[in-house]
Amino acid sequence: MIAEEPRIDATKVTELAQALEAELARLIVGQKELVRDTVIALIAGGHVLLEGVPGLGKTVLVRSLGQVLSMSFARVQFTPDLMPADIVGTNVIGETDGRREFRYQAGPLFANLVLADEVNRATPKTQSALLEAMQERTVTVGTQTRSLPSPFFVLATQNPIELEGTYPLPEAQLDRFFFKILVPFPSEHDLLEIARRTTGESTPQLEPVADGGAVLAAQRIAREVPIAEHVLAYAARVIAATHPDRSELDSVRRYVRWGASPRGMQTLVLAGKVRALLEGRYNVAFDDLNAVARPALRHRIFLQFEAEADGITTDRLISELLEHTVKEPARD
Amino acid sequence: MNSLETILRQLRRAAARARAASYAVHGLVAAGAWIAAVLVIARLVPFERRAEVAAIGVPVAAALVVLAWSLRRPSAPLLMALADIRLGLKERLSTAWERRAEAGPMDGALRQDALRHAAGASLVRAFPVRVNRGEASLVAVLTIFALGLALLPNPMDRVLAQRQADRASQARAAKVVTDAQKKVAASDKPNPQVEKILQDTQAKIREAASPRKALESITPAEQQLQRLTDPGTPALNSSAQNLANALSGTAAGRGAAQAISSSPAKGAQAVRDLASQLQTLSPKDREELAKALAKASQQAQNAPMRDSLSKAASSLQSGDTSAAAQSLNDVASQLDSLQAQQNTDQAVASAINGLEAARQELAAQADRDAKGQAANGTAGASASASASAIASGNGNGNGTGNGTGNGTGNGNGNGNGNGNGNGTGTGGGSTGGTGGTGSQGSGTGSGSGASSTERVYVPGQPVPGQSENDPTPLGPGQDVPLSPFSQVIQAYQQAALDATDQSLIPGSERDLVRQYFSQLGEQTQGAR
Repeated sequence: MIAEEPRIDATKVTELAQALEAELARLIVGQKELVRDTVIALIAGGHVLLEGVPGLGKTVLVRSLGQVLSMSFARVQFTPDLMPADIVGTNVIGETDGRREFRYQAGPLFANLVLADEVNRATPKTQSALLEAMQERTVTVGTQTRSLPSPFFVLATQNPIELEGTYPLPEAQLDRFFFKILVPFPSEHDLLEIARRTTGESTPQLEPVADGGAVLAAQRIAREVPIAEHVLAYAARVIAATHPDRSELDSVRRYVRWGASPRGMQTLVLAGKVRALLEGRYNVAFDDLNAVARPALRHRIFLQFEAEADGITTDRLISELLEHTVKEPARD
Repeated sequence: MNSLETILRQLRRAAARARAASYAVHGLVAAGAWIAAVLVIARLVPFERRAEVAAIGVPVAAALVVLAWSLRRPSAPLLMALADIRLGLKERLSTAWERRAEAGPMDGALRQDALRHAAGASLVRAFPVRVNRGEASLVAVLTIFALGLALLPNPMDRVLAQRQADRASQARAAKVVTDAQKKVAASDKPNPQVEKILQDTQAKIREAASPRKALESITPAEQQLQRLTDPGTPALNSSAQNLANALSGTAAGRGAAQAISSSPAKGAQAVRDLASQLQTLSPKDREELAKALAKASQQAQNAPMRDSLSKAASSLQSGDTSAAAQSLNDVASQLDSLQAQQNTDQAVASAINGLEAARQELAAQADRDAKGQAANGTAGASASASASAIASGNGNGNGTGNGTGNGTGNGNGNGNGNGNGNGTGTGGGSTGGTGGTGSQGSGTGSGSGASSTERVYVPGQPVPGQSENDPTPLGPGQDVPLSPFSQVIQAYQQAALDATDQSLIPGSERDLVRQYFSQLGEQTQGAR
């Protein structure tokens, strides 16, 4: 008789995700995939880089997320003159009982939900400060290291146009983002709905549907989702196939400069687990991995110049390698 | 709700059925390819047991397919994974199966979820019995191709038939030689050397690659046999007959004379008896006997016999009966030797008869092979004639067969065929001996040994005053004197026959040579 551990109520994760999506949908028109991916990253405990042209609702999405979650929210507008101390905090001189002393004043990173708007406009120094906080979930000011609140969720945005005067994120720092989500232009139908909702007398007011504790619990549950060995092997094959020296795809060998890192594999699997839960399953399927492969890998695959010249995108390459990667387990 | 084990059993059964169908088609493809390959090869090279070899591909392919089918059974994880993919179960079954022994926080829910979804799916559909259309088409194509190859005429059939005929011919020839060997062995005085030669020869004939190759082993065997004979035997035999004639006129030696005439062995015993009775003979008988011995001595062509007879005669005349007895015992020993040699000669003759019969058989087959090859595209079919005759015993043997072939022989029987169905053949040989019957004479042939345009040298009439043996005067344009035909024909014939013995030419061609010289001989006799 197998003694089973106390059953985790995985349905709570599904309910949390559904509640978040439903509440966000009151304000965010369409963009279901964007919302789904954002929720997945939130439950997986990863940070998101949102990329889209201005006006597509990136900031609205993040702000709305802050509203539906009962968590502290901070927004930082990244500019070239933004300094690391402006986001991580600094020691300032204060007066206590007539005595002057240095006192640490926490920066905006000390929030559960941080919006780093137009992150590529800040200098690499400031970007590094943010990215270190994202990775380590701590900030160091002077000689003292301070932990950031948990959950800690950064949503950074960047604009793919108007690149003059910007500091593109280096590859190593892009790798710190769990997902890179492209914000698509809404459909005509969605445009009409956006106009109706946002140009009337009142705009929908979102209600909090979850708190930090629920998110943390969901994160723990998501990690318990089992994944079969051959599914895990498929994920590994997908990651390996992004490398030009290991891939059998001509396009990958020709256009890819660097493939996805092991962190990409971790992201793929973890995101797959969350998606499985959101789909009402208790195991990771190939479909889960395929569904999260683009946001998980598109910022981890670095293309050659020829790819840009030939109009090849990472999404296209990812689609191609997903199509060609064998799913069936090897015969033993 | 089914357990995972039940689901696995259902999947195993479905997969076994599907794989059986798939492997059966694989087997059909393999068997068809094998049969087609064998039939193609059989059209390129002579392939005797092509039907058996082609047919064996079917059970071999079936056995291999069954073996592969049983050895390459998919594992349980693989079955589950394939069922997940093919039934759209989103890896529920494979994950649940993999974690069937785990007790993690979600494993229970995972199993329930997997079983619930599996119950709603038709598991058999995961492994449908399906035949690959390409393979099925390939089987059809191979079947049609193989049928075509099997039904259309095969150019190699003629070669195979020739091979079989060659082997049968060689077997018959070997049997003839074996029969000759048995005959020698069954005689009163078996000769191990002759038997050994015949045994080796029949083995070589049987193992030879072709009748033509088998023919090569006969001439050396005949030469070996000839070496066993003693050229002095006729002289010794003549001396013995002369002795018998001389003794027949004496009272004391009459019995010995009859014994010698009967057989040299009996004669030897009779002479020994006579030697032991010398002392009891009257002086008159002794003198008479001495004279007879002296006469026989003078007529003897064999030197040892002559010496012994001479000593016996002189000793008897001088009254030395013991020396005379000793000399007569020497004569008896020489008669024993003559008997032994006659036995050997008889065995050799019998053996050569067998070899000649084998030669005829093989030569006939070699001729047929040559005709077959010529008919296959080689222009200029050669005329050939063959005849066979087997004569046994020391007499004349005659054989007649289809056409007008006949064979005569003295010890060695041979026959010649003359072409166009009107062949004639004669066997040359010296006269002698008695008895013997010819049998199994046969003659077939076509073509002719000498065409109408052939010029035959015939002897001219000797001019008056010139003997036949005198050299012929030079003719116009000739710078060497011509020899009379009768002087050279024998040497020419012997040289030609020796050359044919040494050369690798079929027996029928050798018969042509013999026939040619036989005809010349008949013309010579006619001219005389």
